[in-house]
Amino acid sequence: MSAATSPLVASGTSRGLRGKSVRSRIGDIAGNYWVGRIVKAILTIYLVVTLTFFLVRLMPGNPVESFILNLVQTQGLTYPQAQAQAASLFSFDVNAPLWQQYVDYLGNLIHGNLGVSIVSTGTPVSVMILQYLPWTLFSVGLALLISFVLGITLGILMAYRRDTLPDHVLSTIAAFISGVPNYLLAILIVVFLGIRLHLVPFTAMRGSLSPGVSPNLSLQFIGDALFHASLPITVYVLTTVGGWMLLMKSNTTSTLGEDYVLVARARGLRDGRITAAYVGRNAMLPLISALAISVGFIVGGSTVIEQIFVYQGIGWILGSAIVSLDYTVMQGIFLILTISVVVSNLLADLLYGKLDPRVRIAGSQ
Amino acid sequence: MMLGTRRNAFSRSGASDASVPADVVLSVRQLSVAYVTRRGPVQAVRDVSFDLHGGESLALIGESGSGKTTLGMAINRLLGSSAQITTGEVLYQRQGKVTNILTLNKEQLRRFHWQECAIVFQSALNSLNPVLRVADQFVDTARAHGQHDRGQIEQRASHLLRLVQLDPGRVLHAYPHELSGGMRQRVLLALGLLLEPQVLVLDEPTTALDILTQRVIIETLRQLKQELRFSMIFISHDLSLAAELADRVATMYAGRIIELGSVRDIFYHTRHPYTLGLLQSVPPLRGTLEDLRSIPGSPPDLITLPSGCKFHPRCPLAGPECAQEDPPAFVVGDEHTSACLRWQEVRSPRGEEAAIGEPSRVMHSARTPRAEEAAS
Amino acid sequence: MAIGTTAPDAVLTTDSNVLVRSAQSVGGLLRSLARRPSGLAGLILVTFFVLLSAVGPLFVPGNLQPDVTAIYAAPSAAHPLGTDSQGRDVLDQVLLGGRTLLIIAVIAAGMSTLIAVTLGASAAFLGGVVDAIIVAVTDMWLTIPQFPLLAVLAGFIHFTNPSFMAVIIGVLTWPSLTRAVRAQVLSLRQRDYVEAARALDLGTRRIIFSEILPNMMAYIAINFSLGMVAAIYFQTALYFLGFAPLAGNNWGIMINLAWVQGAIFFQQSIWYILAPVTAIALFSIGLVTLTRALEEIFNPRLRGNLS
Repeated sequence: MSAATSPLVASGTSRGLRGKSVRSRIGDIAGNYWVGRIVKAILTIYLVVTLTFFLVRLMPGNPVESFILNLVQTQGLTYPQAQAQAASLFSFDVNAPLWQQYVDYLGNLIHGNLGVSIVSTGTPVSVMILQYLPWTLFSVGLALLISFVLGITLGILMAYRRDTLPDHVLSTIAAFISGVPNYLLAILIVVFLGIRLHLVPFTAMRGSLSPGVSPNLSLQFIGDALFHASLPITVYVLTTVGGWMLLMKSNTTSTLGEDYVLVARARGLRDGRITAAYVGRNAMLPLISALAISVGFIVGGSTVIEQIFVYQGIGWILGSAIVSLDYTVMQGIFLILTISVVVSNLLADLLYGKLDPRVRIAGSQ
Repeated sequence: MMLGTRRNAFSRSGASDASVPADVVLSVRQLSVAYVTRRGPVQAVRDVSFDLHGGESLALIGESGSGKTTLGMAINRLLGSSAQITTGEVLYQRQGKVTNILTLNKEQLRRFHWQECAIVFQSALNSLNPVLRVADQFVDTARAHGQHDRGQIEQRASHLLRLVQLDPGRVLHAYPHELSGGMRQRVLLALGLLLEPQVLVLDEPTTALDILTQRVIIETLRQLKQELRFSMIFISHDLSLAAELADRVATMYAGRIIELGSVRDIFYHTRHPYTLGLLQSVPPLRGTLEDLRSIPGSPPDLITLPSGCKFHPRCPLAGPECAQEDPPAFVVGDEHTSACLRWQEVRSPRGEEAAIGEPSRVMHSARTPRAEEAAS
Repeated sequence: MAIGTTAPDAVLTTDSNVLVRSAQSVGGLLRSLARRPSGLAGLILVTFFVLLSAVGPLFVPGNLQPDVTAIYAAPSAAHPLGTDSQGRDVLDQVLLGGRTLLIIAVIAAGMSTLIAVTLGASAAFLGGVVDAIIVAVTDMWLTIPQFPLLAVLAGFIHFTNPSFMAVIIGVLTWPSLTRAVRAQVLSLRQRDYVEAARALDLGTRRIIFSEILPNMMAYIAINFSLGMVAAIYFQTALYFLGFAPLAGNNWGIMINLAWVQGAIFFQQSIWYILAPVTAIALFSIGLVTLTRALEEIFNPRLRGNLS
């Protein structure tokens, strides 16, 4: 989904929803804001764990069953032999009753056992995740930071200079570029900047690091990591910054009309202090909850973007797994992606609670 | 109790050669303000002049839309960009030095704000930054005016909070939403006094509050005024409030001050039919409700004002001459002016003779709930 | 509102009210849209692509014939946008390739809107435990990254049937719309006519369908449009990545083939990838700008007050 459009609708209502129902009902039981949030995050992860389990077991054309039959046919194994191999790969006993398999699966998950890759035989899914996830977290996190800071800064500037030429130009560009699906932008970058104009050495930028560079704290490593991540980051930033700009502009415009801003002027505060602590901080609050939603969109988009640039993060390996029907990898990676998003949402919620004193009170009452 | 040394807010560029009587702290002269709208200019304030003396409290009274809030904002140059001050000057005097507020540059104006003239707004509920603790808002204010010792600032804030009958231990480290409306209003009052301004402007200081809180605020204001000797302009549509707090009263109608006099003159020697109408719309504690009358009609459209006296379409005394010219302010008594051609025909309902020496009746009327409902 | 910074209320009428009133009729709505540049641009783009999908295929003669003599031919009079790796005309493919995307987007957005309106309205109207559960589930569902889920599903179940894919997309994308609907119904509930209907004891279902829904058409339209944007993104991305079977003609498949078969590397076949990319991008931009313009018209406060 085009990341920039949805926060407009969703964030407008999210505070109200979170503010009232979830917190006042479930939250009452849970005791306070923090506990309520953490419980919700754990519930979400549990929901996804269950979903992925039944996806594998109960889907039409049950992947486990077809995998076993495949082993029987291609490798000449007996059915029980194939079943035993499948059990080790999927990390549950395919002969046991369904509830037993479910409990085993949960138990394995808690111990970090996500099964073994079917295609790259013998490689545990958890090892693959450890290898690829950091690159996605790095590129997505950095992009989000750049986009958020840039969008907020430009948004405030646009609100202070609203209805001037720079505002109109920026608004139009923001609206235009946030309407372009991110993977199309990535394709255009490869086609024009890479192939036609030779401005971007996009083949050399593939992968997550250049050959011979290993992770350490040297400048060379950091520079190389940034070099390889720069194309995905550029796309994430370009396709999300417009949404932040427009949202921040509208929030700032309405905050500028608040009485406390006028009173701050009447109190003779300096413009810098008013802009930062009175206008900016209040206008930014609703964007924090939009931040949570945006994380999901960018992580989702990374599945496509990393394919295009061949950036070897978790989205890239997910794409390979889907094409090669590596079910255990698909299952494990989807799980870890969801957990990443849930954890980022939790962080955004906690940040919101830190920045808005009203939330803390409402939560503890 | 001063916070460090007071720096003079003004250098040369704001200085004015105009002479102002020694006991006047603020002199507003021929001030006009217009709002730019698509339909044309809205003449919100027209040719307003008055002097505010040291330690005096002046009430600006009028219906909503009479321009009284705009006037309060204009004095502080806090109006938005859609408003233009078309003519006039606002002269401010401290220790014999006269400054025209309207010619101050940005930084001088910033220093003037709150240090010399603080303004407490109508909607105190939303006047404090929701994400900062009360103490931080005191510290912010003091720091902007050159005070940096946090301990000293908080000490002074505690003192002021106690003056407005709040418990500093509870209020100082609270966020605004943790305080009730009346408490927030009092926090703002305390904040207004932080830098010991010469002038305090209060815009509808009690309107949004319940009747009990209103009383507390009024009592607090009365005491503070006696203790701290600042000058005060308060803006209200509530005449009973004026009776309790004001030394002088200015009645505004359609952007102009149409009657100005001592509180006694305004109540007992009323010389303008509009002021009279406002007085009659306040229900008396004693007497019959038949005495209660509202002013017929509604305030004029400020873009297309009526000819002559702006009040004549609603005025029971209006004659043909009233539609001809906007009457000048006639001197109708000692320090008492009225912009009415027929001021001699106006008779105060309180009785010109009988009421003198018996102001308690008016004062009591302040306790009747929501007097302004009848007025508006 | 700020104190005194604006002119007295009596003399100012905000044109937003006028707009809302004039927007009650479809004609009025179109006029309101055409009056603002973004609305006009969005309207033109969306109309263009809807017409293209409806009428475009009529100009294409039957099946696309491969032509081995004209592989990756440069644009010419016979092939204005060149040909693909099998020598098929690119323009013909562009004309053909919007229809299924549009149909899938409409089904998906319809599905998503149906779920969103039902759940959102029920939550807001029934309140209590039902509300708490719907809100909690919506919140959780919203946290799950939708595209990876869709991609994984595409791995397990093969989306050979496009309408099946449409339904799945619709089932995935309801949560953000549900939130908007719920918030909107909550605010509508407070209004007089709904209060009156409740006082008359007209029944919840009656109130929802005869009082609330008609007043929510604007929000439904906005959400429907956003749902289409999401559906177009999801399905074209699935085709582009090869996660959905490459059967038939659509812009997503065109991009996939152009990308995989190397058309991007040759100057003369550049339109094979640029044409579908441009088409999808412009259609998305059109829908997004149209949505923004609708939001501005129906909810002027949205520009200002988000919290």
